[in-house]
Amino acid sequence: MSGRRVFLDGKAVTLAEQPLKGGGQAAVFPVEGDAGIVVKIYRDPPGPDQERRLARMLTMSPLAARPTDANQPPELAWPTAMARGTNGEFLGYAMRRFGEPRHVQLVGLFTRVQRLKLFPDRADWRFLLGVAWNLAFMTARMHHDNLVIGDFSSSNVVVDGNGFVTFLDCDSIAFTDPATGELFPCLMHTTDYSAPERQAGGPATRQSDDFALAVLVYQLLTAGNHPFGGVPHESTSESTVKDNIAASISYVVRPEMVIIPRGTVDPSVLPPELLTLARAAFGPGVQTPTARPQAEAWLRALDKERGQVRSCTVRPLHTYGSHLPTCPWCTRASVTGHDVFNGPRPAQVPGTPPTPDQPPSPYAGLKVLGVVLAVIMLIVILANLG
Amino acid sequence: MHSEYPPTLPAEYADIEFENNAQRMPLVLCLDTSSSMAGAPIQALNTALAEWTRELHDDVSLSYSVEVAVVTFGGQSVGAWRGPHLLDPRTPTSPFIPAHAFQAPQLTAAGVTLMTEALELSMHIVAARKAELRASGLQYYRPQVCLVTDGLPTDPTGHLTDSWQRLIPVLAEEQRSRRFRLYAIGVGGITDRGEQVLQAFAPKFNARLQGFPFRELLQMMSASANAEQKGAGDEVFEKIFSQFKTQRPAWEA
Repeated sequence: MSGRRVFLDGKAVTLAEQPLKGGGQAAVFPVEGDAGIVVKIYRDPPGPDQERRLARMLTMSPLAARPTDANQPPELAWPTAMARGTNGEFLGYAMRRFGEPRHVQLVGLFTRVQRLKLFPDRADWRFLLGVAWNLAFMTARMHHDNLVIGDFSSSNVVVDGNGFVTFLDCDSIAFTDPATGELFPCLMHTTDYSAPERQAGGPATRQSDDFALAVLVYQLLTAGNHPFGGVPHESTSESTVKDNIAASISYVVRPEMVIIPRGTVDPSVLPPELLTLARAAFGPGVQTPTARPQAEAWLRALDKERGQVRSCTVRPLHTYGSHLPTCPWCTRASVTGHDVFNGPRPAQVPGTPPTPDQPPSPYAGLKVLGVVLAVIMLIVILANLG
Repeated sequence: MHSEYPPTLPAEYADIEFENNAQRMPLVLCLDTSSSMAGAPIQALNTALAEWTRELHDDVSLSYSVEVAVVTFGGQSVGAWRGPHLLDPRTPTSPFIPAHAFQAPQLTAAGVTLMTEALELSMHIVAARKAELRASGLQYYRPQVCLVTDGLPTDPTGHLTDSWQRLIPVLAEEQRSRRFRLYAIGVGGITDRGEQVLQAFAPKFNARLQGFPFRELLQMMSASANAEQKGAGDEVFEKIFSQFKTQRPAWEA
């Protein structure tokens, strides 16, 4: 059984009956006979503001003028056509499809079971660092193009097997129409990534993006730990990430304030310069937006580390920053029995050293290519930002 | 931090708790397995549970933080399931399992409808889990409890009882304090009287559905959990629920 018919720039298409994904606000449908696109249909009839926004976006092509190789997907799932009903009413829009299994929500990198399932043999710390670099690059480029992401979270960014990222919910991006001066604000946000001023109802800004970026980069570099996790001591009410953000309670800056879950990765796995940025973002930067490191600062600091990542000789998928004398993941595994990057292994007799069984890296060539591309991109971005 | 509940994690799951510090989203399915559900309805429920489990495993966002417990009321009693295993009522083991490790139980239908006791057990395991999470430093979103029934509350001898009325003030207070969100869903041949009980339990989030649309019901629970993760306002949950209630495809809303 088929779903409804809609018109994309006047061309009739039939949507699948079941959406891929439905939220409170909209649902995303595959298109019959065209695996390359999806159509986002709003649940409530979208108003004239949203229609004007989409019409304006269709005339823009942000981030288009940057070099990419053929393997790299676009960084934005930008609208490609208006979707209208039989009477011409505005219903939603079409965009390129970035679906599983090739594209996975960023949150898929935050648990070991999903990392091993979705990115087998590659989702090590070096990979996570590369994804963080790509996120910072994307954010810096969007800010350079006067776009504010607004609703920036681990659910609306997808990542592919090469670590490239694509931002999905472009219809909520905040921007000012250069022709008319009309401001299109971002009305959505995700509380676990919302700076206090956004939780309080303030508008999306570059600084609120910088806050969300800091949280995402921190999560990537600690294999999934939220910097505002942990239950405050002596708290009586229900405690959430949102509450800790509002109260500026991060264990990265003030570990004495909270009960830290025993599985939490120590912030010291971040190289010193990145840890300094994190402490600025999760300390003074929580209440003072201008104190937050900007995307460009993250990009520069991440870039320095990319060429210096060390590989563990004992266990596979163990890579770490050059500031550490020994593998932090092996240390953690020996202390807690939990290996962040490798699945449970058969029980070992206490005292016996782990068996070395690291496979040769199949990505050595890709890594070289990645470094070369990184350097080219950095030159381009520094030129643009400078 | 002191907790009146002992830590309850069996060794085979210790590794899972270590995974990360994600804010958890406890979800309880409180399911009627009394005799009226025997035959096709319970089969439909088992099939839907198995499908939903697969969807849950594949949903990277939900599997990051959702943890599932199943409570059943049927036979001669109520029971809590830890995945596919029915727990001994005396065990301190928590029935909650991280979504990615959850396996659906194989349910059978018979016996009486101890709906009141099942809701009380659901509230108890939620409170215990919350205390356990807090003591470990783990945060949680507002838990969801989904009651599904096709009948009326009975006593252990199978006779209709009004004892469920003792729950009304308790549930009202729990909802007001936002301790969890209760959905009360009537299916199959549930009567007007049965529907009134559900309305009293969950004034906003109750529904009376034709047939046994368990798959849609479980998908609604996932959509609602997603909204909770996003930090959505109450109006979003009401919208998701009203779309589910009318049983129309999402795009017709």
